[in-house]
Amino acid sequence: MTTTFISSISMQARVSASTTRFSLKKHVSIFNNGKTNNLSFSLQCSMPARLAVSCAAKQETMEKVSEIVKKQLSLPDDQKVTAGTKFTELGADSLDTVEIVMGLEEEFGITMAEERAKEIATVQQAAELIEELVLEKTA
Amino acid sequence: MHVMTQMQQSFSMELPSLVPLQLPSRMETHLWYVLPNEVKSTSLLKQFYQLLSPPEKDKVLQMRGDDLKKNALLARTLVRTTIARYQKNHAVDPRTLMFKKNMYGKPEVDWQNYKNCNNPPLHFNISHTDSLIACGVTVHVPVGIDVEDKERKIKHDVLAFAERFYSPDEVKFLSTIPDAEVQRKEFIKLWTLKEAYVKALGKGFSAAPFNTFTIQSKAGTQGGYNLCKTSEMSVNSLEKTKKCLCNEEWKFALLELADSHYAAICIEDDQDSGGAPMKVIVRKTIPFVEDELISENKFL
Repeated sequence: MTTTFISSISMQARVSASTTRFSLKKHVSIFNNGKTNNLSFSLQCSMPARLAVSCAAKQETMEKVSEIVKKQLSLPDDQKVTAGTKFTELGADSLDTVEIVMGLEEEFGITMAEERAKEIATVQQAAELIEELVLEKTA
Repeated sequence: MHVMTQMQQSFSMELPSLVPLQLPSRMETHLWYVLPNEVKSTSLLKQFYQLLSPPEKDKVLQMRGDDLKKNALLARTLVRTTIARYQKNHAVDPRTLMFKKNMYGKPEVDWQNYKNCNNPPLHFNISHTDSLIACGVTVHVPVGIDVEDKERKIKHDVLAFAERFYSPDEVKFLSTIPDAEVQRKEFIKLWTLKEAYVKALGKGFSAAPFNTFTIQSKAGTQGGYNLCKTSEMSVNSLEKTKKCLCNEEWKFALLELADSHYAAICIEDDQDSGGAPMKVIVRKTIPFVEDELISENKFL
């Protein structure tokens, strides 16, 4: 069966050392109204102290982004999605990415310029752009 | 330990030789496609995996889910084996091919390994969906392709989507279609044509935002499409108007593949072609196993 081969190469990936993509990883377990959220986000809190408050806000933003991405790609709720997960790794094509952008625009009441929107590749990047646009809007 | 032995065993497996191919002629596109559902053999997939470069293998492994991994593997295999076959007299070893990206990120063949050979000026582009992987090949002219499942459901309202991203003329065209299903299909066809153009341009998304150009059917032709770029023109000191300027530099073709997908192809137009429609040769393939020439093609 083809699944055994694919599973066997996946196993090999887990055995070998994986390169770290992000520096300054802090694992934070997120509790939501008493129940454990099955999303875990590595926060890259490498920004200056005065912006530290927006670091906490990002968790909520990232959760919403994650929700919208999963809905667009018809993924199960328990699909593991982290800050660094690339949409393409989840099977998103260019049409999906644009629909995700539309979903994010609706959810957060913002407009993303097409060039910037198409550059979003991960949950974290989407959350950062959203935070930036929301800030501009309320400024 | 067991998994490593499996990998090492694969190295000693003889790779069959690839059947060489004749290059496309000028203004002709070769379109190859693989249906993942037709590739079931584990040993064949193992052989495919061995063709990939280490970074390509990593990318395959990063995909979340077995089907996504398989499709990523098939996509790279299709590109490597197809290009390897277009060499004079005999196919080169697909493992030796190297790829690079142009300054905007568009993948191209890197011929540095073959300095002494007469390298054909091959251009290629790939596109894939869950159930079909396609690769377009041309010589001398850049090519862009995009494939979409005909039945793909858009999660947003089609007109709202078009208003947000497409050109005003395209929105007008879509809004005149009374049947929602026909409208959805026309939306998808337009998407593939627009994507194919941006990919053929190869300059990244910002070079051609979707709302700055219009693609429409040429009246009175079957399968001909016009590209118009919208540009702002000053009517007087107070007014600006948007004018659609026809662009003759690019040729389009739109066809149905495997009864299930729309495929759009865009190539740079050779001025000598005299406005003739694009010639497309479509072949379904399983690398190393078989090719099937699709002789009856439905151009839209």
